[in-house]
Amino acid sequence: MRFDVIIIGGGWAGCTAAEPLVEAGKKVCIVSEGLSLSAVKYESPYARLATLQKQGAVVLRGDRAISGKIEDGKVVEIRTRNMDEPLVADEYVLATGKFFSRGLLSDKEHIWEPVFGADVVYDPDRTKWFDPDFEAPQPFMKFGVKTDAEGRVLVGGKAIVNLTAVGDICNE
Amino acid sequence: MSAKEYDVIIVGGGVTGAATVRDCALRGLSTLLIERGDICDGASGRNHGLLHSGARYAVTDREGAEECIRENRILRRIASNCVEQTEGLFISLPEDGLDYQANFIKKCREAGIDAEAIDPAEALRMEPAINPRIIGAVKVPDASVDPFRLVDAHILDAQRHGADILKFTAVTELVKEGDRVVGVKTSKGDVIRAREVVLAAGIWTAGLAQAAGVKIGMMPSKGALIIYGHRVANMVINRCRKPANADILVPGDVVSVLGTTSDKVPVETCDDMHATPEEVDLLMREGEQLVPSLAHTRIIRAYAGVRPLVVADPAGDGRNVSRGIVLLDHETRDGVPGLITITGGKLTTARLMAEMATDLICKKLGSSARCETAVRALPGSEGRKPRFKDPFNMRAAIGRHGTEVAQMDFEKGGEIICECESVTRAEIEYAVKQFGVRNISDLRRHTRIGMGTCQGSFCIRKVAAVLADILSVSAEELVREYMQERWKGMTPVLWGDTLREAEYMQKTNRDEI
Repeated sequence: MRFDVIIIGGGWAGCTAAEPLVEAGKKVCIVSEGLSLSAVKYESPYARLATLQKQGAVVLRGDRAISGKIEDGKVVEIRTRNMDEPLVADEYVLATGKFFSRGLLSDKEHIWEPVFGADVVYDPDRTKWFDPDFEAPQPFMKFGVKTDAEGRVLVGGKAIVNLTAVGDICNE
Repeated sequence: MSAKEYDVIIVGGGVTGAATVRDCALRGLSTLLIERGDICDGASGRNHGLLHSGARYAVTDREGAEECIRENRILRRIASNCVEQTEGLFISLPEDGLDYQANFIKKCREAGIDAEAIDPAEALRMEPAINPRIIGAVKVPDASVDPFRLVDAHILDAQRHGADILKFTAVTELVKEGDRVVGVKTSKGDVIRAREVVLAAGIWTAGLAQAAGVKIGMMPSKGALIIYGHRVANMVINRCRKPANADILVPGDVVSVLGTTSDKVPVETCDDMHATPEEVDLLMREGEQLVPSLAHTRIIRAYAGVRPLVVADPAGDGRNVSRGIVLLDHETRDGVPGLITITGGKLTTARLMAEMATDLICKKLGSSARCETAVRALPGSEGRKPRFKDPFNMRAAIGRHGTEVAQMDFEKGGEIICECESVTRAEIEYAVKQFGVRNISDLRRHTRIGMGTCQGSFCIRKVAAVLADILSVSAEELVREYMQERWKGMTPVLWGDTLREAEYMQKTNRDEI
C-alpha cells in the first residue's frame, strides 16, 4: 500500500502531526498500537484518531511497526505486525513515544529504537539512568532518538531525509 | 517515669521479638514489646520467606539442620495460615556433579530430613521451568512462609494474652541501677521499668548493648534478593552444591523470590539497605542457572536485608562466626543482671529462639510455667481456608487472615480497593485498628496492598484516599511516601518492562499525561 505520509504512533504527537496533513488532502496512514500515555492530560487520542479516519486517513489500530528498510539514506518501506504487505510512503514520521509505548526498548546495558535502529542518546551506565529521589527530574525521561536541526532522524550518524521524529521519542 | 513495672521488656519487633513476646505472654508474664518502626522493618521483612527444611544446612551444620526440620514441622501446624506447603527441590547441574548429592542425601537423613532422590525427568515433569540440563534432583520438605503474616499472628496472640506492644518508639538507652539493667528509656522520653530486658533487635542489638557496657561482636551480613512478578515454579528450587550466592528460588503467593548474596557490610549502612546493580547482575546470572526463563521474567523489585551474625570471640578477626542461635545471659557473661540477648538464628527457628529466651527469663524470675508455643495454633491458623462458596471479595482476606476475617466488616466495607490482591476497605480498616498502620508502606505489610502485579501503579490513589479518610491525614503525603519506597525497589532493576512502568509512574505522578 502506498501513502503520501506514514505516521508511526497514534498518540498525541502522531495525531498532531497527522491533522494538518489530512486537512491538506494528503493520503496519510497512521499505525497505532494503542499504548499512548497521553489520554489523561490531553483529550483522548482515540477520538482524534476516529476523526482522522472519517476525514480519510487510514488508521491501522492495534498494529505495530516492526521494521523499516532504509536505502541510500531514505526509508523505502516499513513492515507491520498485522499487514502482510510492506507499507510505502514518500515521508515517514516516527511518533512512537518513549518506553511505555515501546518507542524505545531497553535491557540492562542498552536502549534502542526498534523500527529503524535510530541513534539513541542515553548513558551507557544504567546506574545513571535514574535519580534515587522519585520526585527529582529523572535522566531516563530525557533519553531519545537523535535528530538534526530539521527534526530528521539520525541512523548511524546520518540524517534520513524522509524520516522525522516528533513528540516524546525525541532526545531532549 | 511509668508507674507500671513489667516482668519483661522485649526490644525489637521482628520475628524473634514477636515470638518471644508471645511465649512470655502465654506463660503469664506481664510483657511489653518495643519496636522503633513497624513490625518486620528489619531483616524479618527482607528475606526469602523460606521455611527451611534444614536441608541447606545438613552438610555443614547438623545442629542447625535438626533445629530447622523440627521447627518446620511445628510451624506447619501452628501457623498453617502463614505457610504454603510447597516442598522443595535440590537440583544438580552437570558442573555440580553428583558427588555432593550423595553425601547431601545421607546428611539430610541423619538430621531427620526426608530427602528423596528423584529422576531428573520426573523433576522436570513436576517443575517444567527448571533448567533442563539437570542431572539429578532431591525432594525435601522446604516450604514458603509469609513473614509479615507470621509476625502479625504472633503479635496478635501476645496482645490477646495481655502483652503490650509499643510501635514507632525507639529504645534510646538501657536504664541501669548499679550493674543491673532495670528498664529502658524511649524516644518519647519515658523510662519504663522491667525485671528483665531482652534484646531481640537483630543487627541493632550490639549498639544498644554497648551503651549499657556490654560488648557483643556482631557482623552485619547483607543479603540482596530479587522479586519476580510471576510464580515461575511451585516448589522451592535450590542448587544441590555447597551453599553459594543466588541459589534459592522461593514461590510466595503470585511471585517468586530469588536470593541471596552474602557480604560483610559496615554497621552504619544497616539503616538504609538496598540492592545494588552489581548484586542484581550477580543474582540474575546465577538465578538463570536454576530457572532459565528468569532471564525474561518481569522483575518487580530488588531489596536487601541484614543477617545479624554473631562473632563468637569479639576480639577475634570475625572468622569464628556463628549462624546458629545465640542466647546471651549478660548476668553470667558480663556481670550485668537484668539483661538477655537473643539473636542469630533464622526465620524458621524464631519460635525455638523465643522458647530458649523465655526459659531463661522464667528461670530468672522464678516461674515454672511451661512453653506452649509449639502446640497452640496462632490466630488465623485455626483451620479456616477459603471456600468456593465464600463471597468473592472475602476469599483473599480469608487466605491472608484465616479466622481473623470475623473481625472485618464486609457488610460496610466490602468494596475492593487493591484489585491485584483483592484488598477491601474492610481489611484496610482491620489493619489500621489491629496493627496501628500509619502509611501505605505499613499497610502493605499487614494486607499485601500494592504487592501484586501493578505494585500500586493503578490503585495507589484509591488506597491513599481510603487510608487518608480513616486516618484523617493527607492523601498526597501518603502517595509521596509510598512512591519513594517503591522507587527504591525499582531503581536497581530499571530496564525493560520496569522502565516502562517507571515512565508511567513518573508521568501520572506529575500529571504530565
